[in-house]
Amino acid sequence: MWAMIVKEMRQVRRDRRTLAMMIVMPILLLVVFGYAARFDVSEIRVVPVGDAAAAGAANLPAPFTVLDATDDADPVDVLRRGDADVAVAVDGGQPVAWVDGSNLFTAQAATRSLSAIAAQGGPAIEIRTAFNPDLATSAVLVPGLGGLILIFVGSLVTSLGVVRERQAGTLEQLAVMPLRARDVFVGKVAPYFVVATVDLLVVLGIGVTLFDVPFAGDPWWLALGSLLFLFTALGIGVLISTVSANQGQAIQLALMTVLPQVLLSGLIFPLTSMAAGVRWIGYLLPLTWFNVVAKDVMLKDAPASALALPLGVLTVMSVVVSGLAVWRFNRDLRPAGPARTSDHDSAGRDPAPVAAT
Amino acid sequence: MTTLARLEAVTMDFGTTRAVDRVGLAVEAGEVVGLLGANGAGKTTCIRMLLGLLYPTAGTVHLLGAAPSRTTRRELGYVPQGLGLYEDLTAAENLAFQAAAFGIATPDVSADLPTDLADVADVVVSDLSLGVRRRLAFAAALGHRPRLLVLDEPTSGVGPLGRADLWDRIHEAVDAGAGALVSTHYMDEAEQCDRLVVLAAGRQVAAGTVADVVGDQQVVEVEPDHPAAALARLEDAGLVALPAGRRVRVVAATAERVREALPGAEPQMVPATLEEAFMAAVAGDRVGA
Repeated sequence: MWAMIVKEMRQVRRDRRTLAMMIVMPILLLVVFGYAARFDVSEIRVVPVGDAAAAGAANLPAPFTVLDATDDADPVDVLRRGDADVAVAVDGGQPVAWVDGSNLFTAQAATRSLSAIAAQGGPAIEIRTAFNPDLATSAVLVPGLGGLILIFVGSLVTSLGVVRERQAGTLEQLAVMPLRARDVFVGKVAPYFVVATVDLLVVLGIGVTLFDVPFAGDPWWLALGSLLFLFTALGIGVLISTVSANQGQAIQLALMTVLPQVLLSGLIFPLTSMAAGVRWIGYLLPLTWFNVVAKDVMLKDAPASALALPLGVLTVMSVVVSGLAVWRFNRDLRPAGPARTSDHDSAGRDPAPVAAT
Repeated sequence: MTTLARLEAVTMDFGTTRAVDRVGLAVEAGEVVGLLGANGAGKTTCIRMLLGLLYPTAGTVHLLGAAPSRTTRRELGYVPQGLGLYEDLTAAENLAFQAAAFGIATPDVSADLPTDLADVADVVVSDLSLGVRRRLAFAAALGHRPRLLVLDEPTSGVGPLGRADLWDRIHEAVDAGAGALVSTHYMDEAEQCDRLVVLAAGRQVAAGTVADVVGDQQVVEVEPDHPAAALARLEDAGLVALPAGRRVRVVAATAERVREALPGAEPQMVPATLEEAFMAAVAGDRVGA
């Protein structure tokens, strides 16, 4: 037994990357997630609709932050655009607070705070919840879970598929076949693309039929967001595979990319509740933006103007990550050695060999 | 004759290690060229440079008349040491993929494949024996009728019968006009090659036909009373000795040196075999030359 322990210890010591993962990652995760794991809502944005509402909302205490009033006819449109967490209006002389139910914790905090104000002798405000009237958790989680599955299939499974090819020696065989690098790349990721798409449809279908998650918006917007997000996820998967020597390393790296997306994307903990020091990490994660698109489309039927930012960010991410993945994948399929910097020409020829010295 | 592949004074450095040092070789249509060398001699590195998987540090590589490229590799059949088969696909699926990649029709399993492979067409590769896998890799590499076959240790781990069968396939392809470059460290396989390039520690130490490589080299043969003890004494004397039944054969040595190591022995000079010539070449010495 002692021999076995010594052998294992030696192997662990030699595998520096795993060792670093085991020692550094828990500390890093604890610090980052310690600051991220907060359900407290520190700020609730309020937009009064009309002058009468503005006068009534002006004295709302913290955590409410009252923004400039708007002239919109429908307070729900204010929430639909994402301009506020709560839209206060006057309906038949009675103040009404419309709460955005798609942000579960913010909506719950707003409801609690408004009820407390009334209980303490403040103005009684009728509370109406938009988009998710019952404040159902499933309605908020299911759209993001679809994204989580996309990132799982796109990053983890794809990276394993490519690394397996390298470990088996078949990547070298592909390199000597008359295939272009992009043929290999597209052929490699296409099945995962299909599987992830089917997974997404199944998850959303079950969410809508079984858990009564609303689907209020245009499915084409969600399809566009999913496409961009999936390209990003597949690109991350291929990038992981290009820097992983084996499947174990690929799994470690994939988990390092998936875990932060679960915890820092706003899927579980509200982004606005996170400490500013870690919140910015959330804004760099593709799932954060997919989550916004999915919830905005499914729950809020958000207009194109509200979707422009998350879709724009996803577009930039998909282009950058896919581009990097293709570049790295190309490098894997190209000759290695001193003169590897040149490119194939349009006919697929490798650069001229090094002249004799 | 058409030159299908040519390495001209190629050198490959990995960091500070020189893996291949100014090696040259050519493969013509209709011939088998053997790349002979021990493990680590630089055979696979030469093959990888020829295929365009590695850029040489110096020297020139021509594959089918041009620099290695996607176009030239269209006419290449390659069987790597690891065989390059997908273990989770069936034999037929592997063949279909290779055929599609080379733009040819999917082979008809019953008509285009030897019976032994046709019988396992629907078996996943991981369930096949190594010998069958090698035959499958051969069939896949030959499917598009390549002009040049590059085979890296093609019979490694295969029994004598399987090796003979694989060499039959190589000769069939070459008789049909293809050229073949085969790396090996088996002497009996090297003797099946039309020409040899012998590598040792990355350097080309001999080249030519088997007869050229062996030449008029001789070894010293003795018949000691105790061969094991004699081998030990010869080794202690820094000589390369091989047992041959009750006899001991010493390469790259003179009769006088053997007599000094084994006082009382009656050394005789006899013609060297290919293996002994190979060992002599590796030792950098040519006895009797």
